[in-house]
Amino acid sequence: MAQITLEDVSFRYPGATEDTLYGLDLQIENGEAHALLGASGAGKTTMLNLLSGLLSPTSGRLLFDGNDVSDLPGRERNVAQVFQFPVLYDSLTVAENLAFPLRTRGVATDMIDGQVAYICSELSLGKIRDTKPPSLSLFEKQLLAVGKALVRPDVSLVLLDEPLTAVEPKIKWKLRQTLLKVQKDLGVTMIYVTHDQTEALTFAERVSVLSAGGILQTGTPTEIYQSPANEFIGHFVGSPGMNFLPCSAVPSTTGDRIGFRPEWAALVDEGHVDGTVTRVRVYSTQDSKAHGLVTLMTPHGEVFVRGNAEFETGMKASVRIDRCVTFQGGNRVAEIAHV
Amino acid sequence: MVLIVAFSAVIPLMTVVNYSVQDILDFNTRFFVGFDWYRETLNDPRFIDAFWRQIGFSLTVIAIEIPLGIMVAKGIPKASRYTPLILILLALPLLIPWNVVATIWQMFARPDIGLLGVSINALGIDYNYTASPIQAWLTIVAMDVWHWTSLVALLSFAGLSAIPGPFYQAAELDGAGKWQVFRLIELPRLRGVLVIAVLLRLMDSFMIYTEPFVLTGGGPGNATTFLSQYLTTMAVGQFDLGPAAAFSVIYFLFILLFCWLFYTSVISRDET
Repeated sequence: MAQITLEDVSFRYPGATEDTLYGLDLQIENGEAHALLGASGAGKTTMLNLLSGLLSPTSGRLLFDGNDVSDLPGRERNVAQVFQFPVLYDSLTVAENLAFPLRTRGVATDMIDGQVAYICSELSLGKIRDTKPPSLSLFEKQLLAVGKALVRPDVSLVLLDEPLTAVEPKIKWKLRQTLLKVQKDLGVTMIYVTHDQTEALTFAERVSVLSAGGILQTGTPTEIYQSPANEFIGHFVGSPGMNFLPCSAVPSTTGDRIGFRPEWAALVDEGHVDGTVTRVRVYSTQDSKAHGLVTLMTPHGEVFVRGNAEFETGMKASVRIDRCVTFQGGNRVAEIAHV
Repeated sequence: MVLIVAFSAVIPLMTVVNYSVQDILDFNTRFFVGFDWYRETLNDPRFIDAFWRQIGFSLTVIAIEIPLGIMVAKGIPKASRYTPLILILLALPLLIPWNVVATIWQMFARPDIGLLGVSINALGIDYNYTASPIQAWLTIVAMDVWHWTSLVALLSFAGLSAIPGPFYQAAELDGAGKWQVFRLIELPRLRGVLVIAVLLRLMDSFMIYTEPFVLTGGGPGNATTFLSQYLTTMAVGQFDLGPAAAFSVIYFLFILLFCWLFYTSVISRDET
């Protein structure tokens, strides 16, 4: 386990004309569960490869517990990684797979046995410890891959590269819960790379949003959600993302646009913006009233409002904004908790 | 479809089976002899000699070509701009007609004018493949290895290229050594192509005819007379159609048997 520090790290692929990653400054605390959230092409994989030692930064420094590891290969950085699909040794049993990273490092046999038994119980792999991967389910295989990454007690950093992509949706939740549990139990520093905001926001203590090769914002899931650093994050995080309106829509003095989450608004008779209901999605009923997401077409474009869904398409309604964030030139200026 | 199969395979085969149970003096005078020819062939010391020679040859070339092919494949850079060039160069021996291969080696290995023959003699080793049975053997094996290792190498290269990068990355992070990477990642994933490579080389080497025929003519003595050459001598040279047909059926059944044995042993290992 280690504290991970990126100091002004940039990376450019040989022969490329532009940096794939630039000016990355990030500190991840020892034992922290950190998520890297970004759309495809944002530079997530490159950043992962920089951390795992497959690539070295073009400039800047990468520190593990204060030691410069920028130019060390993966095996010397003491990093483990879980990939998008289970990467295992098919000819070895579950227990042998778990023991492998310890054996190559010459760990004593009784120590290996102890660690393997510990991981088996932590991840409930005991029943299949003598099975070989080809006869395991996808869930068990990926669980084993996680176990293999966690088996070294001294591992500096565990990287998870969209580990739930290949797993079926029903199992995803289960695997994520297991991951969360072992992360807490073992207190390892984890970096979870994903394009899925739900995974990022529910897994991590802190999230870094990556876009076009730069980190746009690092913060707790609540910070990212409640006060996005810019309009891109506001739009990218949340489903649907933030609604944006010109500042003139509400009596606000700063910025040129305001953004508000669908649940920060309500549909009333006299609100800030009028529109026509174009779509109603009911998710539940509360006090025998339909609850869900209503889409309105307003003069400023589509607006999503979460809450009372007792509407039909074509009806007129008005949006009352209770809370918002103001932006100037795309960047956050202020938060207004009570409009 | 059934008709095509019948015309292409079954009917000619039936002709051979038909011949194999008859004594044919000329095309109008023939007698049914039952399994006499089979019995005679299986007891023919020249057949038995050629058979063991054949087994020895097939096992030798497979034992050399498979590991060598894998080593060559591992030496090919995966994503260099020279990769296509290397692959084309490797494929060249496979494109040369078999009798030309043999002619090339006949020249190449001649002790008086061939580059190989002269070089070996210059090293002080008395080399003349037309006189020494061992040297004739070594020359034929060397020729086959030159001719066919490329096939194994190309198949293995295709197999290696299909291994996803994360497997190598994981092995690096696990601290695996080169041998462990080969044994735990590459070899298991090469299994499929290697089974095909062994099958192809087993069948092909068991049927080898042109190369030893042109290079050594089966000599010196019968030292390099393999099954197919003995069969040809019988059928075309001596026109013993009955025994030759029986020989052909036995020959065919052996190839079938070996391939089946190899294949089922591989499959049964997969299931355990």
